Amino acid sequence: MHLDDVWLRYRRGGPWVLRDVTARVEPGGIVVVLGRNGAGKSTLLQLIAGVLRPAKGRVTGRPAVVGWVPERFPAEQPSTVDGYLRAMAAVRGLGPAAAGRAVDEWVQRLGLGEFRDVKLPELSKGTAQKVGLAQALLAPPDLLILDEPWEGLDAATRDLVPEIVLEVAARGGSVLVSDHRGETVRLPGAGTWTVADGTLSTAAADTGPRCVVEVAVSAADLAGAVARLREQGHHVLRVREEVGS
Amino acid sequence: MIALTRMRLHGFVRTGRAVAPLIAALAALSILYGGGQAEAGEAYGVSALVAFPVLAWQTKILLDVEPDVQRRLARVALGSAARETAAGLLAAAVAGLGTIAVALAAPWVFQAVKADANVPVGVAVLIGLGVHLLALGPAVALGALASRAVVRTAGMGVAVLVTGSVLAVVLGLQGSPAPWLVPPLMAAARYTASGGPTLTALTLTTHAFLWTTATTYAYTRLRRTRP
Repeated sequence: MHLDDVWLRYRRGGPWVLRDVTARVEPGGIVVVLGRNGAGKSTLLQLIAGVLRPAKGRVTGRPAVVGWVPERFPAEQPSTVDGYLRAMAAVRGLGPAAAGRAVDEWVQRLGLGEFRDVKLPELSKGTAQKVGLAQALLAPPDLLILDEPWEGLDAATRDLVPEIVLEVAARGGSVLVSDHRGETVRLPGAGTWTVADGTLSTAAADTGPRCVVEVAVSAADLAGAVARLREQGHHVLRVREEVGS
Repeated sequence: MIALTRMRLHGFVRTGRAVAPLIAALAALSILYGGGQAEAGEAYGVSALVAFPVLAWQTKILLDVEPDVQRRLARVALGSAARETAAGLLAAAVAGLGTIAVALAAPWVFQAVKADANVPVGVAVLIGLGVHLLALGPAVALGALASRAVVRTAGMGVAVLVTGSVLAVVLGLQGSPAPWLVPPLMAAARYTASGGPTLTALTLTTHAFLWTTATTYAYTRLRRTRP
């Protein structure tokens, strides 16, 4: 899949949110999308998913089956978990039997069994996010796009996300993940895209050894320092707010 | 696409949003038929004119039930912006057929039809169906243009609905300088009331079809950049 000189803005005459983006997503590749809040990560992911159209440039070679997990699952819907997932499976073209099997599989894997008959608005944020994850996986995706997938998830499901990502990549699917929690450190071999000021810089998959450097920064500049490190492609593993003088 | 159409109709009914336009339609029809009897053609012509804003409003409500992010999820799941857009229009048309069924039954329920030996009940209902279908396409197209995905704000949506409905009446009056700018609801009401050659019916149908096509095209073009 290719992005060739892509520009995007939300309205004619408005500011460019993405400028001159050129990138390539390889089959079986995993890409971590980094950048500070408001940098355009979600916009880029929606562009790649096919939700948004570029104002200039082209997106070509998008696979047939795309799974997109939005940053916040829209739980204000009248269906139960089971009804929603079956309906989305049908929208994806699965017949009733195949839809039933797919829903059963992901309900079980994501620990949604006890919520099957619960209405979506009654779910906690984390459980709703699991439903968002499940709907993207009902048909095995050739391109899986996860926008901050760890937000609100319990520890067990957080551990499951890298497993799912690696399964999709092992089947030859591509995966893009945005992350500001440092969880993507658990995705070995992932390439890194950094979005800053509307432009995209890419780095090849990092397969070499890594070192851990402990750095003390001014508490007043904590957020800025973390953002700058991530923009430079470093993985921030952890932030400790109390450091001895 | 059919699965998404079904999903949207399910949301429209299960959230209870279908009730308000149905009540509005019943209220308008009861006022319309409360004043006395008319011939079936005349009654149905005015009924279609009254149903137009209700059907457009109903379309807007149906399309607005789904959260914005869910609409985008549906687009990704279907893999086609055009089919996602079409599924919404189809759902609105199906819901509109339900309202039209109520409108077709209303004059008989309210006993507001004058007996006419020359026009059997079946023929009268067919004329009514035709004139209501003439209103359905333009109403769905106008309602879609007023939907949140296009206009973004509730106020602008109401403005589109009201402007479209008022213009349909004003520019549809006899002697209007630009009757082709609006769907031919007034002309259809005049035709069903007083009759006329078959060619007039064909002209009205073509006019309504072209208006629906042009407005739907505008909607689908806008939706390409407003997912």
